Amino acid sequence: MPSLNVAFPALVVARLFVALSSLPDVLKHNHQLSSPLTSFSQLQEGIYLFNHDIDIYSGGTFRHSPLLLATFATIIPTSHTLSSILWTLCDAAGAWALVKIWRARQNVASTPRDSLIAASYLLNPYIFMSTLALSTSSLENTLTLFSIMFACHGNISAALLAFAFLIQLSLSSIVILTPLLLLLITNPLSHLASPRPILVSLRKTIPLLGEITAYTLILSLVSTLVAGSWAWIPQTWGATLTLPDLTPNPGMWWYFFTEMFDHFRPFFLMVFSIHLLIYIAPVCIKFQHDSLYATFILLGVLGTFKAYPTSSDPGLFLSMISLFPETYPYFRHPIVTTLLHLHASLLLPLFHHLWLVQGTGNANFFYASTLVFACANGAALIDCIWAGLRIAIGKQHENSAVVQE
Amino acid sequence: MPPLRDLFFQRDAIRRSVIASYWLAIILALPLWWNTTTIYRLSLPSSRVEAIARNKLLLPISICLVTNDHSLPGKLHHHLVRSTDYWKVLDVHIFGDLDCSSLGEGVYRVAPGIGLPDLHGRTLLFPYQDEETLPALADALSSLIVPYSSLPDREHRVAQYSPRYRLAFSLLNEDASAGNVILNWDVKTAIHRHITPILRSLSMFHNFTIESQVQFYAPLAFSPQLLEDGSYGLTHENLMVFINSAEWTLSSSASNDPVLHFILFVPSADRKPLRILDADGNPSTSNSFLLPQWGGIVLHNPSNFDESNDASILQASFSAFSHQLLSLLGIPQLPSGIRDTASDSSIREWQLDALLRRRTLENAKGSQDTLKSIIKLVDQIENMPVGQDVKGDVEDALEELTKMYGSATSSLQQTFRHSALALGLASRAFFNPGMLALLYFPAEHKYAVYTPLFASAVIPLFVAALRELKAWRLQRKAAAATGVQN
Amino acid sequence: MWNIRYFLLVGLCVPTLAAIESFFEELSLRNLNDGKVASRFSFTTRLEGVSPRDPRTLGFDDEAQHYRVFPLALGQILREYGVSELHLTLNAGRWDYDRWGYPEEKGVGTGAELWAWMGDGAPMSIDNRWKGLRNALAGLFCASLGSMDELRTTAPSQAFPPEGRLPSVDLPHQLRHASLPSEHVCTENLTPFLKLLPCKSLSGIASLLNPHRLFDADWHGMGVHVLWGEEEGVEVRLAFQSVMDPLRYSLSMSRDWSFQSLFSRVINKTCPVAVSSRVTVALPQQDAIEIKPNPSIEGEAAFFDVATVAKPLNVGMHWQHNFQYPLGEPIPLTPLSVQRTLKGSSQDRGQLSLVIINHETTTVYARYLETMPWLVQFHLHTLQAQVKGITSGNIISNFTYVPAVPHSRPTTFEAMLSLPPRSTIHLTMDVTKAFLRYTEHQPDAQRGWDLPPAVITPVEPLNSRMYTAGLLVDLATPDFSMPYNVIIFTCSLMAFIFGSIFNLLTRKFVVVRLD
Repeated sequence: MPSLNVAFPALVVARLFVALSSLPDVLKHNHQLSSPLTSFSQLQEGIYLFNHDIDIYSGGTFRHSPLLLATFATIIPTSHTLSSILWTLCDAAGAWALVKIWRARQNVASTPRDSLIAASYLLNPYIFMSTLALSTSSLENTLTLFSIMFACHGNISAALLAFAFLIQLSLSSIVILTPLLLLLITNPLSHLASPRPILVSLRKTIPLLGEITAYTLILSLVSTLVAGSWAWIPQTWGATLTLPDLTPNPGMWWYFFTEMFDHFRPFFLMVFSIHLLIYIAPVCIKFQHDSLYATFILLGVLGTFKAYPTSSDPGLFLSMISLFPETYPYFRHPIVTTLLHLHASLLLPLFHHLWLVQGTGNANFFYASTLVFACANGAALIDCIWAGLRIAIGKQHENSAVVQE
Repeated sequence: MPPLRDLFFQRDAIRRSVIASYWLAIILALPLWWNTTTIYRLSLPSSRVEAIARNKLLLPISICLVTNDHSLPGKLHHHLVRSTDYWKVLDVHIFGDLDCSSLGEGVYRVAPGIGLPDLHGRTLLFPYQDEETLPALADALSSLIVPYSSLPDREHRVAQYSPRYRLAFSLLNEDASAGNVILNWDVKTAIHRHITPILRSLSMFHNFTIESQVQFYAPLAFSPQLLEDGSYGLTHENLMVFINSAEWTLSSSASNDPVLHFILFVPSADRKPLRILDADGNPSTSNSFLLPQWGGIVLHNPSNFDESNDASILQASFSAFSHQLLSLLGIPQLPSGIRDTASDSSIREWQLDALLRRRTLENAKGSQDTLKSIIKLVDQIENMPVGQDVKGDVEDALEELTKMYGSATSSLQQTFRHSALALGLASRAFFNPGMLALLYFPAEHKYAVYTPLFASAVIPLFVAALRELKAWRLQRKAAAATGVQN
Repeated sequence: MWNIRYFLLVGLCVPTLAAIESFFEELSLRNLNDGKVASRFSFTTRLEGVSPRDPRTLGFDDEAQHYRVFPLALGQILREYGVSELHLTLNAGRWDYDRWGYPEEKGVGTGAELWAWMGDGAPMSIDNRWKGLRNALAGLFCASLGSMDELRTTAPSQAFPPEGRLPSVDLPHQLRHASLPSEHVCTENLTPFLKLLPCKSLSGIASLLNPHRLFDADWHGMGVHVLWGEEEGVEVRLAFQSVMDPLRYSLSMSRDWSFQSLFSRVINKTCPVAVSSRVTVALPQQDAIEIKPNPSIEGEAAFFDVATVAKPLNVGMHWQHNFQYPLGEPIPLTPLSVQRTLKGSSQDRGQLSLVIINHETTTVYARYLETMPWLVQFHLHTLQAQVKGITSGNIISNFTYVPAVPHSRPTTFEAMLSLPPRSTIHLTMDVTKAFLRYTEHQPDAQRGWDLPPAVITPVEPLNSRMYTAGLLVDLATPDFSMPYNVIIFTCSLMAFIFGSIFNLLTRKFVVVRLD
């Protein structure tokens, strides 16, 4: 395995090379790679209107955070080439953060697996393609990884600040707040094989909670200043709860709410939102010995069930599997999961094209593909939970098996 | 084999807290569930509606008889109540006095007169001396105070009560190019002369808006019958289909106020003169007729000579219109045996009082029935939303009804006003469009929507919770047993 | 309250100043370069000395309305909602500006178009009055104007200035505009239209309005226009325009026409209440023609006074020379030619393209208005103007933009274009097509949605307006038979994953021996 010093720049350069090709133009409007909440062309439109003094949050379809708007409207120009470079560098930073997390978990300065970890992020097609399409979900992933990385290093303020930024960009990421706080008061080392109940007093999280609330309030205030009114809240955060835009994506919400009866729409929107939150406490209780693993599992839940997912959301979960090699022997059906993912990643673009471009397909075909994709993500999630628990029991005799009663 | 029980996450406490946290999230979400699926249904004051609907309005009437015979009032009362059922809704109080001079508002006075009965304000001058003339006096009073009892047929003519009416006057020329037509009419003066006095005296009942138009081509949908003398006749059947709504644009649907139409119809020169035929097929002397609850029509056959004499034509037609308006609005006619001494044809207090009583009783019954229907409807259809506006209207209508009963003994006008307001509010509540907002969603569909989620997701949660509960009770028992053993 | 009522009633009794009502009718006919004949009927009723209802009085009873020739049914609607100016047009077909020039009545957009100026200050909001107005007019004209709801209603600031005057300056007036390109115009709209005329279609010029021929025309449209002017008072103009093709009925390639050949009717009677009633025929300049009966000629037009000429009146025109095909390259009659298309076959996005040709030798300034339902969302940052393939930055200026609100408000985009002389300008913009809830689709969802025409308003000549053709957008549709299937599939999959995780987190691990 080449050392990280060689592999990392090589991967980044390779990525840059692809990013500057003509591929991004083809992928820019792909619904699997960017959702209405993360689309780059929507961001450009918003910046254009913002620069022409049009109140973009009073209506319209601009659903990006005012912070992104302010950043790109004033500091960073949005020329295509520059953005491509920026997005790739963002991915590189994410990969670097993933490597740092890995090192922190192993508690060593460097390992031979470093390059593999970096490659698992930089070469993950779900993330890679999404970045080529300049979806802002790549920025969200980077922020997620940064806040986890800072949390692993015990750098409280940096972790919470990164997380506050993340919430501004995507409200549903609030799901990983609890394990992140737990990670801040414990350590990232692997305790999967030797689980111990959490010993630190949970009271320690209260000041942290206060701090993140303060950051969020300040950033919301900044957003309000940028947007000129509170109208950005229903337009950005509200969109994840009320699903006003039914553009297809690889997730489970859009077709469900396209076909939903108007009378039951609010009820099912509530059920789908609560469903995301219901996992937090059980996962954190069960994996209290290893908060990093709990974070990882909840990222998997988000990738499977969130409102406007892009391929990079499950992509982050899949890349993070590389952090936990100790669980690999205990996977029950890795082949099935892999095949399901392969299957889904072929079906999704194919039926999307047949339905919307070719006109020979039908919405049901694409919907069926998203179900396969959800199966794939669910299978990976379930297997990871199993393996994460099963590892504690350790190797068994050949003629005995571990099951759940 | 390593002892698996040592794993901390296998402990009962952890498992139970995991199950509990699932349930906690669900329980916390229950109010949201309620909030997102409930139909906004405020409770209506049904018992108050029931209670008030049982009430019957009894309107008091006082009649003062100028007499020195103290038995006369009692006998008159006896005659009155016997004459018609309509008196039953009235609380008649008859008393005798020497001159009945100092009376309160709204008390009728009957004084002896000479010759034909005569009206002066609320005073009736009637030639009565003894018991022999009492039945005649009772009849006269009945026809003045409860005039609606005698002619049931007329009741259908009267338009339903509405606080606002639009009066639409139309001059319709059947064919203006055939000549001999009225192209212009001085409708404002005619209305001012004939209609406005009526409207003014009815201002306590209704508000009126007036509009008028002229049409130059208003063909009939049928051909009138050619009579032997060269004139044309309209049979009774013709009158029923006289209005040609397809060709005559009489009124738009711009506002919801009921419209009373008054049409001056000028037949085409080649179908002149146009006459109304009576039941035997002979031309009748009248040239106007009334369509119940809709309006009135006057036929005018202009002669070839006096085209210029516009005013007299309008004089005749508008006087017919004013009579039609009075019958449509339910103003009773004066009984034929009573001398009309007043110089103008203004409406008498007796007539207005009779109308007030009639409208009050109608409105009271109408609003009570409407309120009962709302309560019944809301009870029957569980998916019907009931908003604050409906509830408010129902409560306000009840309030007005209560006030109406309260003022029944003191002031007839007040009672009427409350009854009219109550009817308006009750109807507005009944026709509130918000109550129809939700499409009817059968319960089976509801199960079909909920089952896929709940059957498969919530049942495992239930089973797990029950199992834990059972295990916990077993443990308690076992612990108790060991405790006893120890 | 009773006092107020009494007061108002007293007010009723005083006869107000009599309004002077007058009715004018006119028919003008014009030969078009391609051999067709454009006809325009115009019936004007004036109510002098009367002003539109003050919206502040909308809460009270209206004063008495006495009309003689003014249509009462329309007058009631105008007063009920306090409308100061109103324009309703119902057209079928696409007006060919290049060949036919500017139409005499400006509103020639395909389908129904309704716009009204209303004063503020009423107890009812402008939007509620607009809704009431739409429904009342829908009832009056048997047209589905009720569906011009908030999905289609806009308030453009420039393109539809009041054509008359707006009363009392202290009341701000607001515009509401909506168009419904899918509305089909037919006889059931013409019948109520004719009923508003004092002489219906029984005498005078209106007797030529024969639905069988009018609805067979190459282009036809009717309009109701209500304006106010300080001197003129309230003016209602009912107009009917058509473009007919005499060549279609002629066996000998002759352009000859007459009332009889165009309308299958002649004028037999005069409308007795018309103040003036005349027929105008524009005389072609080059060709030798003969016109019957003998007209009075004034400049380049022939006139007939219907009241005085001998009846029956059957105006006809006879050409000495037959019509020759081909026409050759037509010389455009308007300074601009406009073409709008929606490109791209994909159901999720496309490109809106507007091609404007300026035929003039000077720069032409024009306002460009797009009112787009939220179904099609603009990407303004991709808006580009190209002349001869070169992107030019100074063509579009001064734009205003009101973004759409999904599931409700439409987009309004207005911009000033400066079009260089003798050039073709390509404006392009990327658009995305929305995905609708299954209940939002029309019953014939696969047909697509009609989009309203764009409006180009050249600054010179004043008050001219050009409508582009409407567009049809093809939106992705869900499967309409799926609701329960989707609920079952998605819920079951979610419940499966949820249940599996729940089991993993709550069940105990045990070791079993495999013997």
